[in-house]
Amino acid sequence: MDTDELLYQRAKQGDLPAFDELYTRYAARLFGFVRPQVGSRADAEDIFHETFLRTLESAEVRFDRGSFRTWLFRIARNAVLNRARGAGRAANAFVQLRAQDAVPTADEQIAHGEMMNALSVAIQKLPLALSEVYHLRSSGLSYEEIATILDAPMGTVKSRMHQMVNVLREELKPWTAR
Amino acid sequence: MDCSLVRIDLIAYQFATIADDDRARLEAHLVECTTCLKIYLALKGAVDRGDGELPSEATRLALRGAVEARFRPTLRRRAGRWLTRPVPLYQSMCLVAGLALAAAVAPALGQALWGSTQSHSTERVDTSRPTAESVTIY
Repeated sequence: MDTDELLYQRAKQGDLPAFDELYTRYAARLFGFVRPQVGSRADAEDIFHETFLRTLESAEVRFDRGSFRTWLFRIARNAVLNRARGAGRAANAFVQLRAQDAVPTADEQIAHGEMMNALSVAIQKLPLALSEVYHLRSSGLSYEEIATILDAPMGTVKSRMHQMVNVLREELKPWTAR
Repeated sequence: MDCSLVRIDLIAYQFATIADDDRARLEAHLVECTTCLKIYLALKGAVDRGDGELPSEATRLALRGAVEARFRPTLRRRAGRWLTRPVPLYQSMCLVAGLALAAAVAPALGQALWGSTQSHSTERVDTSRPTAESVTIY
């Protein structure tokens, strides 16, 4: 199987099947990373499009300084941050609104259904530094890759991971105690 | 074991930040308790991105179109790439065998053709000049 880096080089030379293969490999994970962090699906699709294209176009992408997927997620992270800065309060308000919507109703009595809703709410409440770690890790990236993307020491990543888990653990306590 | 004590650790287990003792305890419980196992699998499914939602087909097509427009090589580059493309070994061997055969046959074939042309030319009757037989004396 061709490596991501080889497919990337071929896609940059206009090889569309190589692009299709990269897309197949990363569409779900990249969109899964972007989608929960922005307000609307349309915004998420914009960022997704921009990220993929920028990764292919950018002269900064060099594989001695990170793998293809490290670059992909780094560029996606920056795009999400830029969009959030631009959107400002509107985005925060939307996140809060989504968190309220996600609270389980009286009809949702299935135990793990409730827990999943609680998890969704808890993730929305995470501070940015912990939320980033959560989404990157959930996208299948290793600690090393996360450290490269965040440009932070490995110790910081591990520490944030523990903090994130503790926050989620506390948030889920009412549901797990049942 | 109380299920609630295990469930509280599921998130730490999923993110591999759980202590070794707790992990062993949790795994032993998951083997026995189907309810907790189902909850863990649901949690794992929610956290993992593998089967998450995809961008729309329109986004995929737009992106593909943008990549094609941006990176599609010029006709000249495509022609150059075709000419310098790697050729499979069996094709190269067939080509070499064909050329060798042509090189071996060419002299004999050329001689045969040239020779037949030569012999034809010697047999040809020159009608531009009268010969003793062709002159009729009236």
